[in-house]
Amino acid sequence: MIELRELTKRYGGRVAVDELSVRVQPGAVTGFLGPNGSGKSTTMRMILGLDAPDRGDALIGGVPYANLKWPLKTVGALLDAGAFHPGRSGRAHLAALAASNDIPGSRVEQVLRIVGLSDAATRRAGTYSLGMRQRLGVAVALLGDPAVLLLDEPVNGLDPEGIRWIRDLLRGLAAEGRTVFVSSHLIAEMALTADRLVVIGRGRLLAETTVAALAAGADSLEDAFLRLTSETTDYRGVGTP
Amino acid sequence: MKNAARMEWIKLRSVRTTWWLAIMAVVSMAAAGAGVGLGYRSHTPVATAAQILDNSLGGAILAQLLLGALGVLVMTGEYGTGMIRSTFAAVPRRRRVLAAKVAVCGGAALAVGLVASFAGYLSGQLAIRGTAIPAASLGDPAILRPVLLTGVYLGATALIGVGIGTIVRHSGAAIGTLFGLMFVPVIVAGLFGESGIGVGRFFPLLMLLNSIAVTSPVPGLFAGWISALLMCGYAAVVILCGGVLLRHRDA
Repeated sequence: MIELRELTKRYGGRVAVDELSVRVQPGAVTGFLGPNGSGKSTTMRMILGLDAPDRGDALIGGVPYANLKWPLKTVGALLDAGAFHPGRSGRAHLAALAASNDIPGSRVEQVLRIVGLSDAATRRAGTYSLGMRQRLGVAVALLGDPAVLLLDEPVNGLDPEGIRWIRDLLRGLAAEGRTVFVSSHLIAEMALTADRLVVIGRGRLLAETTVAALAAGADSLEDAFLRLTSETTDYRGVGTP
Repeated sequence: MKNAARMEWIKLRSVRTTWWLAIMAVVSMAAAGAGVGLGYRSHTPVATAAQILDNSLGGAILAQLLLGALGVLVMTGEYGTGMIRSTFAAVPRRRRVLAAKVAVCGGAALAVGLVASFAGYLSGQLAIRGTAIPAASLGDPAILRPVLLTGVYLGATALIGVGIGTIVRHSGAAIGTLFGLMFVPVIVAGLFGESGIGVGRFFPLLMLLNSIAVTSPVPGLFAGWISALLMCGYAAVVILCGGVLLRHRDA
């Protein structure tokens, strides 16, 4: 389980995340929705201890991330499709991270097979297509067979086949009882993937609900989302004059 | 710590840049040694063993920049690519990551530095074979000492690079800072002529050329081993500064 308690982060005078309190439960895919710049990625980074909150706590099973003995065996994270060195092969990237958390080398081959990168494993990751980079990121997340998965915009840049693959993968992981927390700004995709939703705007919690409940009061989930976040988007076009 | 070191070792050897910089460091010292030896072959008066040795280690001027850049890139290569987030997610104790990088990169750079230094010595000796110039034997402590200390100096330079990379985080800026710190103080000291040596004996490049990589230090400079220790001290200071900053900054 992931628990955020009044999590707050400021960059200069701007509040990126504002007293965010959320519980993300195991056994379900929880979508983390919000407009661009609403604080989704900052929240994800604070959960992983990459950014320090100004106030509040982010706990994984009651423990701050930094106190986990083997973090990759507890939490798997896909942060962005570029968190690797382009000159290193996919296999070496995974092998290095596996070594850091005492994960056997056989698991590296296993996750390469799961994400379908076995044949490209010796290629430098910089030569991978966007879809392959996402798959490498997913392989890193699965490396330690973790009970908690955190994915920041996993379907970005994926083709329809890749999107369906991610969707089935995430639903399968949740069905095994894992906690799956997925950020996205693609509402239609979340409607298909997520069971529960956490919606934020300007760093504040707007709704903590289920997909069905949010869509119930509007024509579509998209309408419901736009109504919910209409006050909190930082910028907006006005359409054709 | 052992696992973090294993991670860093895999990372270090799985990028080509590491190998290129290491090979270039050895080649540059070997080439300088051979060039010096060949240059002195028909030189009159006949060169001394010390002259040959002192000059054949001159390739360290280039090798220090290559291995210093290697040290910088061990850190900034991760910040530049986003890899650092994967690294810190895997090992949230950041100073453990830094310590692992120091151990692995420092060890590797020391090994490469020693190989490069011996390559400089050896190619210098090979290039003067068959001439009247006396051979320098590694059995002679005055010969062995500069060869070993030059390797230590190169290892320490790489560690200074790791420290600067941790502080500056941007490859170009960090390498620029490292090169600047190597050369600018020497130029400034040069402006003061003879009186500049009181301060100049603390400067890396002057220590290398006049105290570490020579059979007998130039008067006014420290003994070679003191200069080498000073270099290690500089490395410790920048790495500690980096460690303090690492803790408080967002990745």
